[in-house]
Amino acid sequence: MTGSLVILQPGHSVATDLGRTKGPAFGLPVNGALDQFSAKAANILAGNADNEPLLELTALDFRMRATTDLLIAVTGAPLDLKVGGRDCPQWEPVSVRAGETVAVRGIRTGLRAYIAVHGSFTVPTLLGSCAPDTVVGFGLKLIEGTELATQRTTAPITQPHYGLPLFRLGLTKPDFTTHPVIDVTDGPDVAEFGTTADLLFTSQYTVSPRSNHIGLRLGGALPERQLTSEVLSRGVPVGAIEVPSREELLVLHRGRGVTAGYPVLAVVTSRSLDVLAQARPGHTITFRKTTVADATATHRAACLELDRLRSTIQTVFGLLGIGAGERWHELSPASGS
Amino acid sequence: MPAPTIAAPAALEIHESGDAALRVVATSGNAEADWATVHSLAGWLATADVDGVHGAVPTYDSVLVEFDPYLTSARQVRAFVLLAMRQLDFTGATVREPRRFEVPVVYGGSYGPDLDRVAAEQGMDAADVIARHTEKTYVIRCLGAPAGSPMMDGPDFPFPVPRLKDPRLSVPAGAVSVAGRQAVIAPATAPGGWCVIGQTPLTVLDATREPLVPYVPGDELRFHAIPEADFDSLAGQFLEARP
Repeated sequence: MTGSLVILQPGHSVATDLGRTKGPAFGLPVNGALDQFSAKAANILAGNADNEPLLELTALDFRMRATTDLLIAVTGAPLDLKVGGRDCPQWEPVSVRAGETVAVRGIRTGLRAYIAVHGSFTVPTLLGSCAPDTVVGFGLKLIEGTELATQRTTAPITQPHYGLPLFRLGLTKPDFTTHPVIDVTDGPDVAEFGTTADLLFTSQYTVSPRSNHIGLRLGGALPERQLTSEVLSRGVPVGAIEVPSREELLVLHRGRGVTAGYPVLAVVTSRSLDVLAQARPGHTITFRKTTVADATATHRAACLELDRLRSTIQTVFGLLGIGAGERWHELSPASGS
Repeated sequence: MPAPTIAAPAALEIHESGDAALRVVATSGNAEADWATVHSLAGWLATADVDGVHGAVPTYDSVLVEFDPYLTSARQVRAFVLLAMRQLDFTGATVREPRRFEVPVVYGGSYGPDLDRVAAEQGMDAADVIARHTEKTYVIRCLGAPAGSPMMDGPDFPFPVPRLKDPRLSVPAGAVSVAGRQAVIAPATAPGGWCVIGQTPLTVLDATREPLVPYVPGDELRFHAIPEADFDSLAGQFLEARP
């Protein structure tokens, strides 16, 4: 059975997914959820596949009303979550009854939160992704009154002992801080900056209010390119750190243009890109050098954490009969018996 | 039957670019050969559909290969690129017949605010800059930012054109720009650090169809100057290949 929800107060929210991975080959940025760990966790906690459409909220308060019974999960930066006036936990599945309002207030310490709905919802896609692309003008605009059809509805899961959390899944939540440490590897053009490249690791940087999903602008001591030759446009990875102006460092995020002609000083690791996605203007950033091997290991550890969560959720939801989860299977007769 | 030619893989450098991408640079020193190498490699990677490899962004002499570091790794993708280079046939590469595009441009004034400065830097007057810009048939080398911009080897100016020290926060769709030794048209409104010398009234990007832009790398393009008075009558028409 399909369900639906209505946006009451959009704040600054979009419907997105893990990104348009086929986009860069056509000159389009990957875009998608900026904090990929929180987005994946939200979908997993809601019993969805990792890449299904979900809501990304940036900074501002948000409200929506469930028109049918829903199961949701809210992750990302710390916030106050109320469902039908009740305080509810983040990073856990939460039942919403038909007619109840889901209210997110006071997103703090970090910048972005994610709301996944069991069964996800149907939204337009471009090159296989619903992620908005502000440059080409693609994406569903969420305004007051927008109705999203969900592919499933979930009867409320009742908890006889009022006030106790319904689930305790034991996911290690990421830390949120106003002074994040960001891991980077040397960029392919680090040599062009000579000894000034070390400034990146001995200085602190302040997040500028001009930062967005395309890139974060950071104020602080700027490494300087030692060459003056022009650079041919090249593909630049998400996480590339460039020094395009005399005022600020630019750290490209998932909305970045796929090519650029500025040398790449360093590249933020996949795991730290999630941390950067939560940095608010005014937060202070310290960079720490790592290697590709260590960055890969850290990323994989986070993915394994999500794999364990997925496995737990499948067991719990299967036993509760939610969604298309696993059921008890008849054992086939042992051969020879 | 002629004996098969074994072509040595072109000279190649592979650089780490974070934990989820590699930059592969062709270093034969021959710009045409390097361009063909990186585009062949990107095409091969796209059709190979390898687990964990998202895709490739080829430009002039380099290709950025992006991957998911959970499903694969920089080491594995590096090995795969080297394998691809052995598999690629650089001898008899079939090249698609290029399509040709004509782009009308209003140069200078509010359409091309950097025209006079570019002219001064080159020691030319504005009319010479326009003449150089319109006399050449450009090959679209790659699709770049923003939104599938057609990146071309620039007009034959005496000196490379410096990028703006402080990039503009908004450059309109249709802007015709130069930087370094490259030329480009902006398919969509976006920030930009290139010198804008003119603007085309044609619509380059159509977000309602795939592909979003009408050209592919290898296609050819020419600019011609039109008077400002003609801008509005052409505005909104789509850029289409000439029949």
